[in-house]
Amino acid sequence: MRDFLLGLAFMIGGGVVIAVAQTYPTMPALQFGPSLFPSLIGGGMVIGGLVLALTRVGQLKNAFAGPRSQVASYDYRGLLISLLPCALVVFYILASEFLGAALCMAASMLVLMLIRGARLWLSLLVSIIVAAAIYVLFSRYLLIPLPEGTLFSQTLTFAW
Amino acid sequence: MDDFLQGLAMVFNLQTMLVIVAAAVFGLFVGAIPGLTATMAVALLVPITFYMDATPAIAAIVATSAMAIFAGDIPGTYLNIPGTPASAAYVGESYRLAQKGRARETLGTNLVCSVIGGLFGTMVLVFVSPSLAEMALNFSSFEYFWLALLGLSSSIFIAIGSRVKAFLSLTVGLLLSTVGLDMMSGAPRFTFGVPDLMAGINFIPVMIGMFALNEIMMFYGSRVEERHVPVTAKDSVFLKAPGHIKTYWRNVLRGSSLGTLIGALPGAGADIAAWIAYALGKSRSREKEKYGTGHIEGIVDASSANNSGISGAWVPALVFGIPGDTITAIVIGVLYMKGMNPGPTIFMNGGGQVYALFTVFFVANLIMLPIGYLAIRASKVFILTPRKILMPVILSFCIVGAFAINNSITDIWIMLIIGLVAFVLARNDFPMAPAILGLVLGSTLENSFMSSMLKSNGDLLAFFERPISAALGAMVILIWLLPSLIRLFRRWRSTPQPSHKPRSS
Repeated sequence: MRDFLLGLAFMIGGGVVIAVAQTYPTMPALQFGPSLFPSLIGGGMVIGGLVLALTRVGQLKNAFAGPRSQVASYDYRGLLISLLPCALVVFYILASEFLGAALCMAASMLVLMLIRGARLWLSLLVSIIVAAAIYVLFSRYLLIPLPEGTLFSQTLTFAW
Repeated sequence: MDDFLQGLAMVFNLQTMLVIVAAAVFGLFVGAIPGLTATMAVALLVPITFYMDATPAIAAIVATSAMAIFAGDIPGTYLNIPGTPASAAYVGESYRLAQKGRARETLGTNLVCSVIGGLFGTMVLVFVSPSLAEMALNFSSFEYFWLALLGLSSSIFIAIGSRVKAFLSLTVGLLLSTVGLDMMSGAPRFTFGVPDLMAGINFIPVMIGMFALNEIMMFYGSRVEERHVPVTAKDSVFLKAPGHIKTYWRNVLRGSSLGTLIGALPGAGADIAAWIAYALGKSRSREKEKYGTGHIEGIVDASSANNSGISGAWVPALVFGIPGDTITAIVIGVLYMKGMNPGPTIFMNGGGQVYALFTVFFVANLIMLPIGYLAIRASKVFILTPRKILMPVILSFCIVGAFAINNSITDIWIMLIIGLVAFVLARNDFPMAPAILGLVLGSTLENSFMSSMLKSNGDLLAFFERPISAALGAMVILIWLLPSLIRLFRRWRSTPQPSHKPRSS
């Protein structure tokens, strides 16, 4: 079932790639230009997706023909939890300018550790130490401009 | 001679040696934790290597990858869970030996075989690469087009599992390689008005997304498992290893040469090398019946093959700029960043850089012996490190590592999107190696095709006019036809042959 859907997704994606590629300019000296390779790749995605979907049609028919109990139940909870790291990356992207990289990393690590049942004191300790260590290593030693966070710089200025 | 001595001086200094030791320990740690691969270790290391000189940066990558491949054997032996996919082929054999109280002996033999395999691959790299590079100096865009296509074709036809899925995975990588300004016309493609995408997609956030974020998501999608070590280890690490190597020297040699050859094939890495070496070792063994019951011969071939594959993969990467596996795909990106453009000219440039690179391989492989010995003695520390603590730490490194490449939030978005796509594909058994090769070789393929067409005024037959180009083209066509030919051969063998009637007198 999932392979069938992925095959369809590749076909649609390939179609979109071909459509977008047709808008690119062609080179005057040649019959082809920047659209050639994307169009070939899009064509490959359509054909590959079609083959993948067609080879799974038989399995799809069997799955729908059989009793409902035979269809394996999908682990939606597991899928949701597996998306949590991505949600925390988005949180970092959106909040790091305001909260600072170190605090965002510490918060993300704490959430991820707690959700898998790590002890609170251990999670807190590891999150804070590791976030501080990564921040110092990258921003002070490797000179990467990690966001300091406007929240802290404002608070510190105010306190000063 | 001056270049050689200069090369030695680049390696045998305190900074580079410390980097090698630290990278080996890092590789050991990542490799010994199930679910974390050698490619992931290298991808996470790259942002830090950006701030090093070329020699320590390459030394760090070589030491990390070699050590991670060996370290994958540690949880395989104690827990029956391979630390990296390259150890999966012989994990059953190692675990059964450990159950018999021979865990350290097994790991000691693994370690010695890994070192011999790594050194064998290095010797091939040292002696074969310069000659290949001299030949490659005569290559034009026609030959590079076929070489790129050969690499991409091998990645589909050598992949384990569905070829359709491998092909679709390749299209994802190729599509990513087209993002940015077109080299010939300067037209922006798939940039969606984002200025950061004009220069194209950087390999490193893609690698981090594909191999690290994807693994973290896999971990959170799986059930929690508590690990305990069911076997005890009181035996000696190296006492019986020389005896085993003496008995099975043919296996070591066969595994090493096979591993180097498979590693050099684009798309086939240490894991495929180990599987093929194990299968070949079993088929040629005099004690086939002992395989699967905990037989030391079963680990010798494959353990040599996976480490020699790591060194072998560097041959096409250095000579042609075509990666032999996912690790060298990352290495090519690092070499470009360090101004050491991979290709035949890398061997012609003076300054001892190439000698330094070769020396690094020898040192990184030899240093595995003492560090590996200590790791075997302290195995439990590595394999019982709780992943629920480690995975969040890795996520933080992923975010900061992706950002550090260009100091750009766009790279974190790229890592995130690629991680999500890789997660969906990997959960549905799509191989990742073709996507990486597509990304790395996509621009070589397109640019060499376009410049060849300009040179030949659009005549496609020009791709077969030069002898080496024609030979490479024929190899590509042969690889495409190989599955059909094998199928036809099998069908021919399975059809019953007409029996000869005895002649009547």
